[in-house]
Amino acid sequence: MSDLVEAMSVPVSDDAPVPMWRQRLRIFAGNKLALVSCVYIVILAVACFLIPHLHPTNQTNQAIAFNTPQNEPPSAQHWLGTDSNGFDELGRIFFAGEYSLTLGFLAGVITIVVGTLYGMVAGFFGGIVDTVLMRLIDAFLSIPYLFLLLTLITIFGRSTVFLISIIGLTGWWGNARIIRGDALLIRNLDYANAAVSMGAGKWHIIRRHVFPNSISNIVTVATFSVADAILFLSALGFLGLGIQTPNTDWGTMLQTGAEQIQNGYWWEVYPLAIVFVLVVVAINYIGDALRDAFEVRLLER
Amino acid sequence: MLSYILRRLVQSAIVLVIIITITFTLPYFQPHGIEAPAYAVLGARSTPYNVYVYSKLHGLTESYFVRLYQYFYQLIFHFNLGTSYKQSLAVNSIISLYVPRTLWLALSSLIFTVLISIPLGILQASRRNTTVDYAATGTAFVLYAVPSFLLCILVIDAFGFHWPHLPISPPSGVAPWAIFTDPKAFILPVGCLTLLSVAALSRFMRGTVLEVLVQDYVRTARAKGCNNRRVLWRHALRNALGPIITILGLSIPALFGGALIIEDVFNYSGIGVQTINAALETDIPTVLGITLLVAVFTLLGNLLADVFLTIVDPRIRLEHSR
Repeated sequence: MSDLVEAMSVPVSDDAPVPMWRQRLRIFAGNKLALVSCVYIVILAVACFLIPHLHPTNQTNQAIAFNTPQNEPPSAQHWLGTDSNGFDELGRIFFAGEYSLTLGFLAGVITIVVGTLYGMVAGFFGGIVDTVLMRLIDAFLSIPYLFLLLTLITIFGRSTVFLISIIGLTGWWGNARIIRGDALLIRNLDYANAAVSMGAGKWHIIRRHVFPNSISNIVTVATFSVADAILFLSALGFLGLGIQTPNTDWGTMLQTGAEQIQNGYWWEVYPLAIVFVLVVVAINYIGDALRDAFEVRLLER
Repeated sequence: MLSYILRRLVQSAIVLVIIITITFTLPYFQPHGIEAPAYAVLGARSTPYNVYVYSKLHGLTESYFVRLYQYFYQLIFHFNLGTSYKQSLAVNSIISLYVPRTLWLALSSLIFTVLISIPLGILQASRRNTTVDYAATGTAFVLYAVPSFLLCILVIDAFGFHWPHLPISPPSGVAPWAIFTDPKAFILPVGCLTLLSVAALSRFMRGTVLEVLVQDYVRTARAKGCNNRRVLWRHALRNALGPIITILGLSIPALFGGALIIEDVFNYSGIGVQTINAALETDIPTVLGITLLVAVFTLLGNLLADVFLTIVDPRIRLEHSR
């Protein structure tokens, strides 16, 4: 909260009004926790995408891994030890992160695109369309989400593309509800009515008025969607239904580690667990900061 | 009130019809489409002719709508959820075997959740911005940020390795009510599930009670000289019960989802483990049957919560019975 107050009291240059995006950027940058989170995510993403290629460790060949010591505690050669297959744990965190981050990001983006379209249509057209579309969401929401994911995976299989689509095409219901509320609100505002009176078509109003004015909510919700997608992907991985071998993701890795935790092989769980939880927390902090940055009341006029 | 319940019943029935239609339609999209059971059962003998005969015998060649009608008919009048051709078992018998086990797990943790989170919410609200409040809020935030399976791993590490005094897995093949005969074995699974629910609910509970505490009737109660305890338990709790019941009803899907993870981690063979195993060996009828059942439970839970709400809060009854 003190960050917000600070951000509000930033002096404005006297002459030219500060562009809105720079004010927003300033408010966002005023939130130190969000900045740290951004730095963390960027560094981790770069590491996940580069390190497996710059400093390759064997992560896919079980035959070679069989010759390395298994469940070995951290050493100079394997900084975070090895797992039960003999794969280097540190390298594997980055190797798996490439999949977890990419899939989580893509699935999150799909949920926000679909949710936005659906919510806009429901909220804007209202009436019977709205009722039918929202009842459909009620029906979807009454199926426990993990059970639904398991069902879809059973039917469609679990290739990378299907994992992205399954999470992406089922995670948008909450998003659709939020966006619908926005669309409903904006549709009844004066500028939307003015556009209607000037003869603007429905899609024009959605495109030029409803969408730009709900963009703040869309961006914020998108951030949380990515965090949720990463979480659900990891839950699937943990249940043994994630990325298939020889590749892996964080959830699958945690499952492998969980099987060894009873033997006291902490290095197979805790380093990854910390990295993973920090990712989720960091994305949520970024979402919070974005919400503040888009808050009109904090802008100087 | 009766008309309100009736209307909610009709709404739930519509939602149920949508869900059943979805679960019926989904198998059309699997590899081999609706003829997949033929390929699964016939195996190497699945020549086009054999597949055709099998499909014909089992009514798979009928049109979509005929089959949809039969599906509804079987479901509504015979509770027939189909056959798991992987396990050569009626999905019904799988469900009747494992659902009670999960229900006991979920119900007992629901009870503990209510018993813990309501007093906790009241405590936090009445001691707002004190150390107790901050500690509880902080704990809940951490528990909420940590994914459920990770929390379970931590618990297993603690009780399986560092302090091995509690069994980390309930015995398998026991009666569904083993939770009463051997409660010690269930401390960890039920405890974890309760912890997860409490973490998810506690922020809401605190907010609800806080909202009630600033109302006029609470001030009136204080003004007429009620002591703090009476204000909290008689006035605040009663008025906060409505939202609490609603959120409990809405948290049922999460409860089942949590039970799924808990069963997997603690190796407790309930409906969750059955679903995971069925998903791993692409046993589609089983997964669909269980998902349908869990959806029905969720709908029933929401309906019950709504009905209960009208009992607890007379204002709602007045509003809808007109």
